[in-house]
Amino acid sequence: MLEMREVSKVYRTETVETHALRGFSLKVDEGEFVAVTGPSGSGKTTFLTIAGLLEDFTRGEYLLDHVNVHGMNDNQRSRLRNEKIGFVFQAFNLIPDLNVLDNVEVPLHYRHMSGGERRKRALAALERVGLSARLKHYPAELSGGQQQRVAIARALAGGPRLLLADEPTGNLDTAMARGVMELIEEIHREGATIIMVTHDPELAARAQRNVHIVDGMATGVSEEPRFHPGLRERTAGDVSLPRS
Amino acid sequence: MMTPRPILSALRRHKIAAFLIVLEIALAFAIVSNAVYLVMGRLQRMDIHSGIDERDLVTLQISSSGNAGVPSAEADLAALRTIPGVQSASAVNSLPFTNSSWNSDFTKTPGQDATGYPATIYLGSRDLLPTLGVKILAGRGFSSDQYTDLTPATMLSAFFKPTQVIVSKAYAEQLWPGGNAVGKLLYVDKSQGQIVGVMSNIVRPQLSDSGTDPSNFYAVVLPFRVGPDLDASYVLRAAPAARERVLKAAVTKLQAMHPTQTVTKQATLSQMRREYFANDRAMAWLLVSTILALLGVTAIGIVGLASFWVQQRTRQIGVRRALGARRRDILRYFQTENFLLATAGIALGCAAAIGINVWLMAHYAVPRLPIIYLPIGAVALWLLGQLAVLGPALRAARVAPTVAMRAA
Ligand SMILES: Nc1ncnc2c1ncn2[C@@H]1O[C@H](COP(=O)(O)OP(=O)(O)O)[C@@H](O)[C@H]1O
Ligand SMILES: [Mg+2]
Repeated sequence: MLEMREVSKVYRTETVETHALRGFSLKVDEGEFVAVTGPSGSGKTTFLTIAGLLEDFTRGEYLLDHVNVHGMNDNQRSRLRNEKIGFVFQAFNLIPDLNVLDNVEVPLHYRHMSGGERRKRALAALERVGLSARLKHYPAELSGGQQQRVAIARALAGGPRLLLADEPTGNLDTAMARGVMELIEEIHREGATIIMVTHDPELAARAQRNVHIVDGMATGVSEEPRFHPGLRERTAGDVSLPRS
Repeated sequence: MMTPRPILSALRRHKIAAFLIVLEIALAFAIVSNAVYLVMGRLQRMDIHSGIDERDLVTLQISSSGNAGVPSAEADLAALRTIPGVQSASAVNSLPFTNSSWNSDFTKTPGQDATGYPATIYLGSRDLLPTLGVKILAGRGFSSDQYTDLTPATMLSAFFKPTQVIVSKAYAEQLWPGGNAVGKLLYVDKSQGQIVGVMSNIVRPQLSDSGTDPSNFYAVVLPFRVGPDLDASYVLRAAPAARERVLKAAVTKLQAMHPTQTVTKQATLSQMRREYFANDRAMAWLLVSTILALLGVTAIGIVGLASFWVQQRTRQIGVRRALGARRRDILRYFQTENFLLATAGIALGCAAAIGINVWLMAHYAVPRLPIIYLPIGAVALWLLGQLAVLGPALRAARVAPTVAMRAA
């Protein structure tokens, strides 16, 4: 799905040069669930912005779906983001002026799609995160957990194959975090590739593989994909959508 | 690409700011469309075609009061014709672009109850029409024996004798639409005149407020010679480019002939036109300044609000970019938003524009605003809005998608 080879990212300001990533290499297979951990400032978010084509990198090589993305223009990147990648942010990042349904439709506005199709997809995504009853609510009227689930629905609406989540539970209390985590696991089960940055070792442990970043370099990559403990439990029993 | 609906929904969450800008656009639209119409009216008036050869004409007037008695027009004109560069000269009771005129209601049947058609009256010698550059289009000019001298003493009786009349084309057209005026009779009360010729249009001295009013060209010429005793002026046709010199020489000559009298007026016709329209010009400038100021203030309002919104929405712009919006999608979002606001303003402004016009019609004899000024105003404000929003919208389009991940 995604392969980075010796990727470096240098942020230059007038006074300082920050090497946010140094010779960072990582391969993520289709359908994998990778948790990214590491101390604050180690380059986790930088990795996600590059992986998600939000910015270019300084050196190295990055293949997304076997396509070299280096040097792609802004329009090409936008289109790839729109079609292949879903984002989930720590701060939810819903658009405050739009209701839940309109928020979920936002990414669909940036591709050729009829209003009816847009509506259908958004409703399906909201159904999936269990928020069909909140279509006309505005983000400020929802709890943090609900907001994050709307954000996940927005990420899902476009049918992405890669979901990038930057500390998706960072702003949530434990109960809400659990709900969101279970939702992400379910999305993974349905076939999406997931890369999730987290501070929480417990959540990281639920991924198939952990990547630890220190000082802009990947360390402690467990090459052996572990079996997902949560997955085994849940596939055995009934799947009920989490509510927060 | 964004459809307008979510943009409208988002705007509904910012009702007050949106309403204020819509109001500003509506006000600008209403005032600007009316002001543009008023300016056009003034320009049209100022642009009126006088029907005389203004460029080569000069005029001067000598006072009739003085120790030496009333100057004789014939003697004065004979002397003026000797000035080099003078091609022809005549006395005339009044001229275009002056504030004194002789006017009368002419009727097609005799008697006081007949419907009258107002026209201005030009009086002068045989030289008058050639000097002014007015042409006979149909019929003929006056025969020489028709001319009589008009003095304060003979005025009343002169007007009661049957006479000949030359009418302007516009007046003929008004009296006998599509017909032939030559040979027809005209009356002032019971006095009778027979139309012998139709002349090219000559504008009346005092124009109506509207430059397109056909009655501006309702004029008749009667075969009466006039002189300074009836406050007549002399009008001279100068050779091309000689008018300034001719005017100076004419003044000198008149003063030499009548040392105790004063030359009360001396001007080229071009000067007279300029002075006559001085108010229109001032008003047009005032209106244009008002229009520009209003458009400027509106543009500043749009730029201000758009800049504020772009700044306020920096994060959501970053999020939209992350979700796949291209730079041009962001640009278009703000352009569409502005277009919607402008459209609302224009719609509201249409009602206000008509309201202002109705009020102006009631209080200032302004005619009804032609409907064409509404689309003109609409296009102007749409363009203004797009122009004003372009800067902020381009700034919005430059917001980096990483803002979605980074901004606190
Ligand atoms: N836009 C930027 N300009 C300059 N330095 C940056 C920028 N973004 C991130 N950095 C720096 O890059 C390093 C890695 O940051 P980041 O990837 O956000 O770390 P993490 O997400 O692991 O906390 C930090 O030192 C951070 O200060
Ligand atoms: Mg981070």
